[in-house]
Amino acid sequence: MHGTTNNTIKAENLTKYYGDLLAVDHINFEVRQGEVFGFLGPNGAGKTTTQRMLTTLLEPSEGHMVINGHDLARDAYPVKRQMGLVPEESNVYTELTAWDNLMFTARLYRVPRAKRAERARELLEAFGLWEKRDVKAENFSKGMRRRLSIAMAIVHKPTLLFLDEPTPGLDAQSARAIRNLIRQLNVEGTTIFLTTHQIEEANRLCDRVAIINHGQIAVIDTPERLKRAFQRVQSVEVALEPDGQAHGQPLAALQGVTTSVKMGDKWRLYTEDPSALLPQVMDYARSQRLRVVSLSTLGPSLEDVFLQITGQQVGTVRHETREGKPRRRGARGQRGDRR
Amino acid sequence: MKDNRWLQRLGDELAQVWTVTVKDMKIYYLFPGMIMTGLLSPFFMFFSFSVQRGMGATQGIARLLAMTIFFTAAAAGPFIIPLERRLGTYDRLLAAPMSLLTLLLGKTAVGAVLSIAVSAVSLAVGVVIFGASIAQPWLLAAGVLLGSFSFSALGLIFGSIPTRNPGDVAMPSLLLRWGLLFVSGVFIPLGEMAPVAQALAYLSPLTYAQDLMNHAVLGRGAVTAPLLNPWLDLAALLLMGALFLLPSVKMHQRSRKLGY
Repeated sequence: MHGTTNNTIKAENLTKYYGDLLAVDHINFEVRQGEVFGFLGPNGAGKTTTQRMLTTLLEPSEGHMVINGHDLARDAYPVKRQMGLVPEESNVYTELTAWDNLMFTARLYRVPRAKRAERARELLEAFGLWEKRDVKAENFSKGMRRRLSIAMAIVHKPTLLFLDEPTPGLDAQSARAIRNLIRQLNVEGTTIFLTTHQIEEANRLCDRVAIINHGQIAVIDTPERLKRAFQRVQSVEVALEPDGQAHGQPLAALQGVTTSVKMGDKWRLYTEDPSALLPQVMDYARSQRLRVVSLSTLGPSLEDVFLQITGQQVGTVRHETREGKPRRRGARGQRGDRR
Repeated sequence: MKDNRWLQRLGDELAQVWTVTVKDMKIYYLFPGMIMTGLLSPFFMFFSFSVQRGMGATQGIARLLAMTIFFTAAAAGPFIIPLERRLGTYDRLLAAPMSLLTLLLGKTAVGAVLSIAVSAVSLAVGVVIFGASIAQPWLLAAGVLLGSFSFSALGLIFGSIPTRNPGDVAMPSLLLRWGLLFVSGVFIPLGEMAPVAQALAYLSPLTYAQDLMNHAVLGRGAVTAPLLNPWLDLAALLLMGALFLLPSVKMHQRSRKLGY
């Protein structure tokens, strides 16, 4: 993050209904200038709907948004000039070459004529597409289209960049290159709004994350503070030989284990008190004449936090909302609790 | 200073109109769907209804030009916008720094430029090969220009229907165009129509385009004589073109609420 406390985005009471379906439920949040802000949530939680409202593609049913000091409902033009958008599906023009795609976007964002070619070349080289500049995008791989799509979104050097699920489906090399690029853009001062359901990506990239579930923001904080707040979701991970996979049930029955999850050739035992569980695991291994290949204690991961908050399975206890009431999507006048 | 900003914005918006138009020209003019509905349809319709009817080259050119600007200009909007919505590329335009009206004018110009180009080729063939003569070239130029923009704006109404499937738009768009073709004095001169049919014809923009082509190509005293004042024809095309943009704006605003 880059020090200042100015807000780039301020969303107040933002709400979206599709007919009777409440997709985004009166959410409030702020994104600070220069930060990478992660917007996490399971599929259908309202992430993309929120992002489409922030990028002027969708009109909110209620609430209002201020970006870089401009009220989006009143004057979106200056905001549009300063923002870039990388949607979930790479929306490049497949009938155009990589070069033409970039030049078109540069014209669209009023990049001065004298700088367009220079900027297009700079980006194509940075994204490893210079050699393919005259190839139509229909002949590009998914990763190449993704890179081109990102290059098109930053051709005008936006101060605010929205990225919707930038890496799913990409090979490890392309995904890493895109993550490095996000870091680089942020270092250069671009505020990043990253919509993702990839928890580890958010953990590695984001200064703060908001977790949205059933159209409501459940929590906003830094990844590390969120993890600390969920210390009860600690675990002991053990690999036993021989035939360690057959011991899941007795391990899960040890005192203090809330959930056990098979993780490859290991068992992860979730507990609030790892120090009490460790000797039990060792005793069990000795009693069964098993060799302990590895044994470690783990703090809560951001994924654990996410799953805990969104009430999903895998190593977590049952989810409850802050007020202990179920959240729901539903018809007008039947909303669940709000923040 | 404030005036400068306003002028700068206006200049930017006008440049965006052309940017959108040029991009679409590069991408869509050679799409099979566009070639079929925009280029081949008017010629098929013309030859279906005009051969072996003892029509002279000049009269044929007046009819072909009216049909060309009508079919070709109105073909772009219903084809391009739903396709771009499906591919996600329309979002790129909606998120770009330009007003909705600018985007719609850009899309209107796509059909209009194609229509003007095809009309020019048809006219050249008629004049050079078939020896057709043009009574009022400037009126012809104005008519082709205004008619092309007006009919392209008509096509845009269908393109603005909130859908991502071009097929949903093609049927109503074609039905309207064919329907208008038969009530607009293209095949049956206005003067020979029953009063009820004539009243209906005055609601159709194609009526004014055909009458204007008759003025421009045939001049007064021809077999298919023009009925209306050419200035009225021009004004009607201009007014209808502007009116056709209104439902498109409304439907785009509705699309933005629905999420298309």
